[in-house]
Amino acid sequence: MSEQQSQAKDKSVFLERVIFNFRPFWMVLFALLTLFLGWHASQVRPEASLTKMIPTNHPFIQNYFEYRDDLASLGNVVRIVVETTDGTIFTPEFQKTLQEITDEVFFIPGVDRAGLKSIWTPNVRWSEVTEEGFVGGPVIPDNWDASERSLEQLRTNVLRSGEVGNLVANNFKSALIYVPLNEVNPDTGEALDYQAFSEQLEEKIRDKYQTETVKIHITGFAKIIGDLIEGAMQVGLFFLLAIVITLVMLFAYSRCWRSSFTVLGCSIIAVIWQLGIIKLIGSGINPYSMLVPFLVFAIGVSHGVQIINAMSANRVDGHDREMSARLAFRALYIAGLTALISDAIGFTTLMVIDIAVIQELAIAASIGVAVVVLTNLGLLPIIMSYGGISERGRAYSERVRNQDHPVLTMFERFSEPKWAYSALVVALIGLSWGLIQGQNMKIGDLDAGAPELRPDSRYNLDNQFIVDNYSSSTDIFVVMAATEPSQCIAYDNLEVMDRFSWHMENTPGVQDVKSVVYVAKMGGYALNEGNLKWFSLNRNQYVLNANTGRTPPGLINPDCSMAPIIIYLNDHKAETLKTVVAAVDNFNAQYQQEGLELLMAAGNSGIEAATNSVIETAQYKMLLWVYGVVIVLVFITFRSLRTVACIVLPLALTTIMSQGLMAVLGIGVKVATLPVIALGVGIGVDYGIYIYAKIKEGLERGMHLNECYKYALDNTGKAVGFTGLTLAIGVATWIFSPIKFQADMGILLTFMFLWNMLGALILIPALARLFARFGKRIH
Amino acid sequence: MIRAKVCAAAISLTFSAGLNAPIHAAAALQEAPQAAVETTDAVTDYDVIYAPAMRAPEATRAVLTEIAATSEQQVAVGDYGVIVTRQLGTDEWQQAEVPSSIFLTSVDFADAKLGWAVGHHGVILQTQDGGRTWQPQLDGFEYIDLQVAHYEQRVAQLEEQLANAEDMDPVEREDLEFALDDALFKYDSAQIALEEGPTKPFLDVLALSPQEIFVTGAYGAFLHSTDGGESWSIIDHLVDNIDGFHLNAIQAHGDYVYMVGESGLLFRSSDRGVSWETLDSPYYGSFFGVHIDQQERLWIYGLRGNIFVSEDQGDSFTQLSLEDPVNINNAIDAPNGGLYFVGNAGVVAYLSDSGELTEKTHDSGAVLTDLVINADGSLTLVGQRGILTMPSSALAEKE
Repeated sequence: MSEQQSQAKDKSVFLERVIFNFRPFWMVLFALLTLFLGWHASQVRPEASLTKMIPTNHPFIQNYFEYRDDLASLGNVVRIVVETTDGTIFTPEFQKTLQEITDEVFFIPGVDRAGLKSIWTPNVRWSEVTEEGFVGGPVIPDNWDASERSLEQLRTNVLRSGEVGNLVANNFKSALIYVPLNEVNPDTGEALDYQAFSEQLEEKIRDKYQTETVKIHITGFAKIIGDLIEGAMQVGLFFLLAIVITLVMLFAYSRCWRSSFTVLGCSIIAVIWQLGIIKLIGSGINPYSMLVPFLVFAIGVSHGVQIINAMSANRVDGHDREMSARLAFRALYIAGLTALISDAIGFTTLMVIDIAVIQELAIAASIGVAVVVLTNLGLLPIIMSYGGISERGRAYSERVRNQDHPVLTMFERFSEPKWAYSALVVALIGLSWGLIQGQNMKIGDLDAGAPELRPDSRYNLDNQFIVDNYSSSTDIFVVMAATEPSQCIAYDNLEVMDRFSWHMENTPGVQDVKSVVYVAKMGGYALNEGNLKWFSLNRNQYVLNANTGRTPPGLINPDCSMAPIIIYLNDHKAETLKTVVAAVDNFNAQYQQEGLELLMAAGNSGIEAATNSVIETAQYKMLLWVYGVVIVLVFITFRSLRTVACIVLPLALTTIMSQGLMAVLGIGVKVATLPVIALGVGIGVDYGIYIYAKIKEGLERGMHLNECYKYALDNTGKAVGFTGLTLAIGVATWIFSPIKFQADMGILLTFMFLWNMLGALILIPALARLFARFGKRIH
Repeated sequence: MIRAKVCAAAISLTFSAGLNAPIHAAAALQEAPQAAVETTDAVTDYDVIYAPAMRAPEATRAVLTEIAATSEQQVAVGDYGVIVTRQLGTDEWQQAEVPSSIFLTSVDFADAKLGWAVGHHGVILQTQDGGRTWQPQLDGFEYIDLQVAHYEQRVAQLEEQLANAEDMDPVEREDLEFALDDALFKYDSAQIALEEGPTKPFLDVLALSPQEIFVTGAYGAFLHSTDGGESWSIIDHLVDNIDGFHLNAIQAHGDYVYMVGESGLLFRSSDRGVSWETLDSPYYGSFFGVHIDQQERLWIYGLRGNIFVSEDQGDSFTQLSLEDPVNINNAIDAPNGGLYFVGNAGVVAYLSDSGELTEKTHDSGAVLTDLVINADGSLTLVGQRGILTMPSSALAEKE
């Protein structure tokens, strides 16, 4: 050991001694922990729970939960449409297929068999009024023999049944099977496994019956969840892709396989630990928090790169493996810890949003970052102290060090006045663009159908088919009319509910309103010989009771204390939902019927209205928190308001521009995109801290600003550039996700990571230049 | 043929599988207010009778029951107290100011300005400005008071007649006793209604002149006014309707007035409604309407596509059957001779002068209850889906 080295070892800090003096112990401990956590991580399954995606403390959702069981039969339904591309449904072949599919569906576990409906189920009947009263029967003729006569009879019955637009398409080219689901299996008491159910539908229905001329379309909440989970599985492949790309980049950067694999390995260990820990604390992984392993991996790699970067520099300086590792640790652990702590705090600000998936994401990301501290600041130097940088890597590093990299030279220019001011002008243009475009940023989901999935996904195409051919909107806002028990069809209550229905039908964006009131009025019409002049509520409660005798299940609850009023909307745009909520509030302010409460809200649009309102306020709250935390953190580190401005302004520019980008790309502020800004800012601030730390160091040494910046770039700039790229690549794979919101997250995060990197490399020196001049004038 | 229609009462209410999408009326309201904002004070004792009709941008999509045409405008009435009017020669429907939100069932005009609308909960409204604004003339609670007073008086009157008629013909006496029983029963019913509130809808109104109006309704309700609706009297004893069947429609031509109803009820007056006789009914099912055409033929129609025509003021009838056995709700004269009929399940039928019948189904498949013919020959239809239109060529193409 050289004298220099022994001196260096003497200056070792406490943490360094703890780590490097017990290397074998730590290696074994890490190995055991990895095995243990890896076993738990392997138990993690993707899940998609509705309750976690919604703001459970919002009053709408509280109301919904209050009546959740009563509303279950309304909501949890799968629709299977069997389409013929060859003629109409009135052919023996089609009817045979429809019958077989109906039978098949009957036996799929989870189906509420009594509620199952198609023209082949006996609960679907036709009826008409005759001089003697009602006559009617099942839609499928009793003596069905698939003959021409039978088909003719079937056609007549279908028309009489009133099922055109419901169970039979308006154009008679398809028929629908209505499949209500049991949330809990009545036999086993087990909760419905959406994924398994969805797979069964694919396997037993779509795969089996879809042919050249028969097309199957399936929609419903269970199918969305199934498709979400299936899509999420594909994200696993993206992870592999991210690993491969990162490995290539690592090698290109270091030219050393040994260190490349070590960095990769340690980062993967960080991911395993993170997954294992969330499993241990009883949390799971959902399509949102699935982003976290990508982030953890990328953050791990970026910090790992700093270590091996420093190590190879030390090797070039002639230190041995262990000493190189020790010195690298010593040089970087403070900056690394600060950066990681700021990441973690940035993520933690997401906890202010009262939506479980976002909070889970915040927890998972914070855990992940904490784990990276252990694996990539702790384990990585230990492994590298054994393995060391390969000779090839050392040589490459030495060569690079002695030449000016063209890209770095370009960035160095931005501390020169001309370049600096040009950059600032460009930034101002970008800022204005972001501010102007950002005005158009929308809250909520903007696409039709299931916004979770891509507009051209199979699910959304199926959904569009049903919307086009059947008389139903899929955007449903439910108001719950709550009364005393057995008062849900009391005359006085129905009369107010009827006015409410008319009030809502006259609200922009509302297509149709249906509830037990409609049943009562239809009952009046039907029971008076089909005379429309009786389509009204009757003050006589006995008459009303008779008129509501045929109320379908779900439109009143078992003890008749709640009747859902179903409002069909044109779309689920945030403005539409706001208008609807305002209209309901307006009505409630005007009409106060004792014993009747019109409570918002259930249905997919009702839940979305609640989510939107939480997100709208959370948006600003979260920005305030994130920036507040970042400003405090930077101020504590540098004790200078000017530095705070230098570091935070580029971040703010990115935030504003990404809002502009969201508006331009039609990405709304929603559960998925809300966390992105916090993640972007939290990670983005690292770059600024690294770079400014070195500029400051240079200034303290009396360097000219240009020199300081060159010094900073030489020391950390390269790593910052690399970090920005690795992070961007990690999340960019998400752009290809079949899940729309994951793709949105991917686009935005990629943009933010790259732009924050460029902002740090270009605008920090430019701003420093500006402030330096400004400062001089003051003096 | 495969043209069976959804019959009268397609009451299979399949909410679960989605409901019929609304069909937009061709004509839009001219001044559609953005949101339905009403009074600022909260209503705590809502009663549909006294709540003014809501300003409704979608008024033409409400369930509408009848449409009347005067020399100046068309006026349609329906659910939620909706009355919409349209000046002849314009396309815009305007919602009238209506002091009640009840379900209106019928409208009729004495002249271009003066008209009446009736509906559920015993409500009678009058307009003096061609349908723009409406004033209440009777509501169900007043009607019950009227019934109590009327039957009380009638019971007294009949009891007195019986007491003073010792040497009366036994048959006549029996009739009187019968009438007394009936009046007593109705008096009791009115007493119950005092508790229960108004439950019996009016179903048709006939403005014979600016002073003289008839109103018919459910359970045999039959009212008359000779002072333009200032006061109303109950005249149900003038017709032989001991079962209290619904009186669905009333129509006049010259001195003749005809009234039809439930279970084949058919009455005729040849002295403008002073006295009534029961005619032999050609059908035992319900009639929903009565119409006298340009050739002074009497048409009565109702359940299951049953249409009957009489050329001798109802003494004898011949039957005309539609291919689709759906309820026929109304008929009007076509401009070039012939008649239009409308019915449930979107049925519109045209019967030419020469007796050829053409049937069409409106795309909506909605219950159609009434229609008027526009200057261009097109049809404005009302019913389950509000105001709908149909080009004349859809039916009269053969001519």
